Amino acid sequence: MRSLDADVCVVGAGAGGAVVAAELAEGGARVVLLEQGAYHDPDGFTASPPEMLAHLYRDGGQSVTLGAPPIALPLGRGIGGTTLVNSGTCFRTPPRVLERWAREFGLQLDEASLRPCFERVERALSVREVTPELAGENAAVARRGAERLGWSHGYLKRNARGCVGSGVCAFGCPTSAKQHTGITYIPRAAAASAEIVTGADVHNVLVERGSARGVRARLAGGDALEVRARDVVLACGTIHTPLLLERSGLRDSSGQRGRNLALHPATAGFALMDETVDMARGVPQSFYIDEFADEGVMLEGVAGPPAYAAMALPLTGERHARAMARYRRLAQFGLMVSDASRGRVRSIAGRPIIRYDLCPEDMSRFRIGLARMEELFRAAGAREVYLPLPEGARPHSARARDLKLMAFHPLGTARADARATHGVTDGDLAVHGVPGLHLADGSVVPSALGVNPQMTIMALATRLAFSLLGQAVPASNPSPAPPTDQRPTKEKEIACRS
Amino acid sequence: MSAGLESMISAAPWPQRTALRVLLALDRRPRGAMLLASVPLAEQAASSMLALGRYDDPDVGRALGWDARAVVARGRALRRAEGRP
Repeated sequence: MRSLDADVCVVGAGAGGAVVAAELAEGGARVVLLEQGAYHDPDGFTASPPEMLAHLYRDGGQSVTLGAPPIALPLGRGIGGTTLVNSGTCFRTPPRVLERWAREFGLQLDEASLRPCFERVERALSVREVTPELAGENAAVARRGAERLGWSHGYLKRNARGCVGSGVCAFGCPTSAKQHTGITYIPRAAAASAEIVTGADVHNVLVERGSARGVRARLAGGDALEVRARDVVLACGTIHTPLLLERSGLRDSSGQRGRNLALHPATAGFALMDETVDMARGVPQSFYIDEFADEGVMLEGVAGPPAYAAMALPLTGERHARAMARYRRLAQFGLMVSDASRGRVRSIAGRPIIRYDLCPEDMSRFRIGLARMEELFRAAGAREVYLPLPEGARPHSARARDLKLMAFHPLGTARADARATHGVTDGDLAVHGVPGLHLADGSVVPSALGVNPQMTIMALATRLAFSLLGQAVPASNPSPAPPTDQRPTKEKEIACRS
Repeated sequence: MSAGLESMISAAPWPQRTALRVLLALDRRPRGAMLLASVPLAEQAASSMLALGRYDDPDVGRALGWDARAVVARGRALRRAEGRP
């Protein structure tokens, strides 16, 4: 068995884990970062949706919830985690959500206290607003509709630098413009001497006299690895973190572990326009309409190359072929619901089983959202609108089984709550009753956000890292991401395995 | 079936992998397609997968104004020119 010693062992190299690892390492802590997946070399990105789904996503991007309706839940896997394959949209946690967290979960996370964390993350990721030119014609269609209807809208902020609008954010950015954690925080962690091990499948947290003291993992080659550490930070993602806690035999006094799963279920519609749209030219998710955000409905851009559009287009047979023949004139826009429904994650035979049923309140939100989406496309001048409903179905009478849903933002399965009887972690993301064990991913987020969650997760991870260092989050600039390739070296990985 | 689609299905957990292969096999046969048509969810899943594979063909993409190879080549050239990771 191989063994490593560290001050902090971090499990997972996505939005939460990469941030914690880099900030701790730069703060002088000895860090071991374990990632189950691989480092993905951008030279291997092909812009082919099925190839990249197979390569960059967990389970080939075919994770799915059980329930009514089933929901596709694609999750990234590897260095960068889902930040490698998301749209790069950056929202701070909405103030109304923070107020709710204080009221319902006793969390002292107000705007002022989180501001330095957000500012630090935004600087590290080069967050800026998309320009209309880069957003492309697909966004221009939505903007035209929103302006004619007088709806509140805007261009999204994204973590991108030098983006040329390749249109394949979800399938591996071929220009490395998207500032995912694999090319921002991970190189910083490596430069600050963090030990980064890929292909490490963590089986359990080591607990001694009630405190976390490390983890046990199996390496890709089959060797066992034990990491001993003063503190352990789990950031395996909302689906897998509660299962690792369970595998570790840790008591769950709250009864909330694996529960409270929110997803932000989403769908998308298409419209046939008179003009050439070429939806894959430009930033796929570059524009939003928040007119209905208070009703739990957010409209956000979505687009992709023909293969992606063909998969998502809610038509079959001859109608599908006719619409795809006019792909260059197709526009697409998405709809995301801030859900009240709650699901549950369990493990059966070592695999996560995700149960999630859409509640009537969320079904009502989808009916509203679909009607608004049709209105938007019509106002923009659409010749035909293809809503994600069976032929003949209308938004106001849609049923759960009619919907074709996907979700990208699983949250809440180890929710934070100041009370040990109500949450898995406290407001500082320390697991209740297990000193030395902390969580830093979407699992701690106690409610749906209504906006894309990567910034919330990264800000909370920043806060956790500085708390472990015993320091306040500084207002000064973080060290810039190295411009050149500082991926975790093969030598380091091999040294660990041998 | 395209290589990309095959690799994607192969990466799926076995229940989805098996289900997708059955659906795609059914869809290729006239009686199977009729059977699928009576289960809209299954028909949609099968046709989505087939469409993903069909429109991933570089020639089909180019005919629709999308050239994946050119996008990738431009990306690589930019990364090299600007020293990006």
